[in-house]
Amino acid sequence: MSISERLIAAVDGRRGVDAADRLCEACVALFEVDAAAISLVFDGANTGTLGSSGQHARTCDELQFLLGEGPCLDSVTRRAPVLVVDLADPDDARWPIYGPAMLDLQVRGVFAMPVVVAGEYVGALDLFRAQPGRLEESQFTGAVAAAELAGIPLLDLLDGDLHAAAADPGSNAWAELHTLSRAEVSQATGMLVAQLEIEPAEALVRLRAHAYSTGRSATDVARDILDRKLRLESD
Amino acid sequence: MTETPRETRVLDAVVSLVDSLLEDFDVVDLLTELTERCAELLDVDAAGFLLADPLDQLRLLAATTEQARELELFQLQADEGPCVDCYSTGQPVSVADLNDVTARWPRFVPAALDAGFASVHAVPVRAAGIVIGALGLFGSDSGELNDADRLVAQTLAHIACVAVLQERAPTPSTVLPQLRSALASRVIVEQAKGYLRETLDVSVDEAFKLLRSYCRANGEHLTDVARRLMTDRNARPVLVSAIGEFITPAT
Repeated sequence: MSISERLIAAVDGRRGVDAADRLCEACVALFEVDAAAISLVFDGANTGTLGSSGQHARTCDELQFLLGEGPCLDSVTRRAPVLVVDLADPDDARWPIYGPAMLDLQVRGVFAMPVVVAGEYVGALDLFRAQPGRLEESQFTGAVAAAELAGIPLLDLLDGDLHAAAADPGSNAWAELHTLSRAEVSQATGMLVAQLEIEPAEALVRLRAHAYSTGRSATDVARDILDRKLRLESD
Repeated sequence: MTETPRETRVLDAVVSLVDSLLEDFDVVDLLTELTERCAELLDVDAAGFLLADPLDQLRLLAATTEQARELELFQLQADEGPCVDCYSTGQPVSVADLNDVTARWPRFVPAALDAGFASVHAVPVRAAGIVIGALGLFGSDSGELNDADRLVAQTLAHIACVAVLQERAPTPSTVLPQLRSALASRVIVEQAKGYLRETLDVSVDEAFKLLRSYCRANGEHLTDVARRLMTDRNARPVLVSAIGEFITPAT
């Protein structure tokens, strides 16, 4: 299986935190890193570590929210990957508190790939390495692909109802990402922002939830919204 | 035997140069090749690419021949000639017959004639709204640089400019984030179209036209305005109203 296929296999049929955790575990297996975590920097209630490959990963990741500095925060602000090859190298120093704290936890390399939901940079996939060293090209590309896939469990987590739902063996993350990136879906999202006075990520979550609960594709729901045949109710 | 039409040869040259920009290149090597292509395509005998240094002095970056090189160098020392004029005015310079301009460039013209050139032309190299250098062309026959030729020269000068500013070919670690950013921008623009469809009660196509008209009229980027619309609650009412002003009444 290719890297993409293995990443997709990790999330398919799973939801929310479970999918996020499995994706992180796959990253550890595939990219020669020791820990991986997915975190969100979104509205206050949702900021924090959401999925991880294990306790060590969770600790490393959560620390940045406690300290107010770190890879996920930077990569979201910059809308770009943050690649730190060796935290012990004075030239690579960028976090005066988080950096030394990570060295204490035996982490030398940190790589964060931002996660995009509804066009917004809302979080990151954070990778941690005990040994210093660059990500190889295939590892970098794979990590970006993983960050792309992380959008789906993040959407799950932003929707309270789905979070509680049972795992759906039929769910297909790759196909869903494809559907959700269609122009009509984004346009309908924009309409929902106007109609319901909510933000774009929440609007996408609502659209997606409606599609799930009615057993229709997000594309069909989007078209109906655009044609004014469907109006979602505000809560 | 049919000769490949000039248009095809120009496009071939452009594709080949841009290919290098995107794959792997050395700036001096690429610019040397570019001056050589220039000379072939424009039927001139020599070409030189000059860039301004921080003290506003033009310096040679690449040239087709040693002869042109000498000339360029001469030109710089004497502080006169087509490239110097082109650089300071930001306008193309075209001299069909050097004999006509001895008064304009009293030191450059004799040296150029001596080197066997009869006509000279220069096009400006521009970036970020400033002139950063010039592309000089030298012919051994007298003759005009017509509009089509000027366009070819300007196109190649533009590519040369990008090569200089880009410095290094892209790598996956720079390309992938840029691709994601472009795709995210598209998503936001689509959202904005939907948002305007709802708030202005227009079709999605009309919404896009209005957005573009507003951006053009205000010198703003489409993605920036769309992002403001979608993420800044406070800015929305004024922005929607301003965009709405571009609705043309149905006749």
